[in-house]
Amino acid sequence: MATEVELETAGTVWKLLVKDGSAVKEGDMLFIMEVMKMEVPYEAPHDGTVKDLNIAEGDVLEEGDIAMEIS
Amino acid sequence: MSWKDKTDELNARRTAALAQGGEEAVAKQHAKGRLTIRERIDTLIDADSFDEVGRAAGDAEFDEAGDLIEFTPANFVLGFAKIDGRRVVVGGEDFTMRGGSPTTAGFRKSVYAETVALKHRLPLVRMHEGAGGSVGIQKNPTPPAPVFDPPRFRTVAQTLGSVPVASAAMGAVAGLPAARLVSSHFSVMSEETAQILIAGPAVVARAMGEKLTKEELGGAKVHARNGTVDNAAKNEVAALEQIKTFLSYMPSNVWELPPVTQTDDPVDRQEDMLLDIVPHDRRRAFDMRRVIAAVFDIGSFFEMGKGYGRSQIMGLARMNGQPVGVWGNDGRHLAGAMTAEGAHKARRFMELCETFHLPIICLIDEPGFMIGSQSEKQATIRHGAAAVLTAAMTNVPWASVMVRRSFGVAQAAHYGPDAYVIAWPSAETGPLPVEGGVWVAYRREIESAADPDAKRRELEDMLAVKQSPFPRAEAFAIHELIDPRETRPMLCRWIDRAQPLLPQLLGPSGFALRP
Repeated sequence: MATEVELETAGTVWKLLVKDGSAVKEGDMLFIMEVMKMEVPYEAPHDGTVKDLNIAEGDVLEEGDIAMEIS
Repeated sequence: MSWKDKTDELNARRTAALAQGGEEAVAKQHAKGRLTIRERIDTLIDADSFDEVGRAAGDAEFDEAGDLIEFTPANFVLGFAKIDGRRVVVGGEDFTMRGGSPTTAGFRKSVYAETVALKHRLPLVRMHEGAGGSVGIQKNPTPPAPVFDPPRFRTVAQTLGSVPVASAAMGAVAGLPAARLVSSHFSVMSEETAQILIAGPAVVARAMGEKLTKEELGGAKVHARNGTVDNAAKNEVAALEQIKTFLSYMPSNVWELPPVTQTDDPVDRQEDMLLDIVPHDRRRAFDMRRVIAAVFDIGSFFEMGKGYGRSQIMGLARMNGQPVGVWGNDGRHLAGAMTAEGAHKARRFMELCETFHLPIICLIDEPGFMIGSQSEKQATIRHGAAAVLTAAMTNVPWASVMVRRSFGVAQAAHYGPDAYVIAWPSAETGPLPVEGGVWVAYRREIESAADPDAKRRELEDMLAVKQSPFPRAEAFAIHELIDPRETRPMLCRWIDRAQPLLPQLLGPSGFALRP
């Protein structure tokens, strides 16, 4: 199963916690966005490996941007 | 003498009616990836349950000898049917004739859809594809309606206070059908095939100089994100599936109770993840949909309006089999603040629940109305006050769970009269969040401190303690302070107590849903 991790809202990448190739378990935190002074964590939708990492800390992202793929 | 020659003619007309716009028009419809209205009806309803109304309506043409040459059926198909064994009224425009723009009999049948649903007190499902009036010359023009006819939209409005109305946009829906589409309790559009337009590209280009495609003007990317429709679905079949799901929570009318179903989900189920889902770090958001999934009957949450007013989560679910309205805050969107859109969504949601006597369960993490220039430009305070006053005027049972923040005037929309109020230890409440209020209230003290930042943090920490739910529990300002894991058992016991009150509410409510 491969799932794209899509941004629900625009914001800034505050902390990136994985790298391309990182193995993750379902529910592991992948990165934290800063949105309206709130920290919005994004978690792994299922077990897998990080692929096509497309974000870096400090990036300003738009809603709908694809942060990475978990496959 | 037998009437066989006439029944033969009748049968020929019926066969012609089933052929809709003819083979070529049907093939064209299929080539565009769209179903015909009859296929849509068959997809929606229980097998062999269609009991059509007005099969003989249409236009007949005769030769000089008076023999039938051609019969063109009315381009609105209507009838009774069953969905999951429950009777409904279904109808929709036939796009294969005149692009769904109503013929005389087609128009009459479309008007009759609401009339018959009201008369029989049955849910109404409309599947729309077509345009409204045309300035083209009709073969058999209808004289203008008499001046004493009731307003065309009167029955449309009356249905919203009497029977569930669900509608789907299946292809391009413009003008009158578009207004009918949104005059419903639940509307859904097919992403692959539908557009919703007040007027199509040609009219827009001429009047406004905007050159846009139908999709750019009124596709799902526009209308599933602005509240025009509640939901988008991948295609027509998925859209009809959503309508069936929506109706499964609804009574047949306001004189009947929503259908309670059997569930295997234990009333005392407690999920450990609820104990640590709310982060101690007050700036860290969490996923309210996970709370919803853990608390309500497993798999029973049906979300409506996910694409707009996104800081407010609305939907239907079941609690020990009882259909309920669910309202949560999504702190991942604009910190969960109530926007003008979110307030509009909340008002419609409460009107739906009040109309069909669905108890409301709120999971609250409300920081208040959205602030800032954009919010002021959107008249958020007016839309927000409408939501607050709607809550105050409801009669259905409410349970309000203070999960985290509950602040400002906006929080008042989350508590109906006589709400059963329970709070998690993570609950915070007050006139406004500490971070917003501390600077206003203690500005001089902060500015004159040796280390203003440290002073501000010290004050914030001190005040945050005062917003804890324990003093509220001591003062009996809430019913119970609970372990988050107890949420489902507590709410199941509450719903068991609330159910006997529901029959007293039956009948039309004080206010019905308006689009």
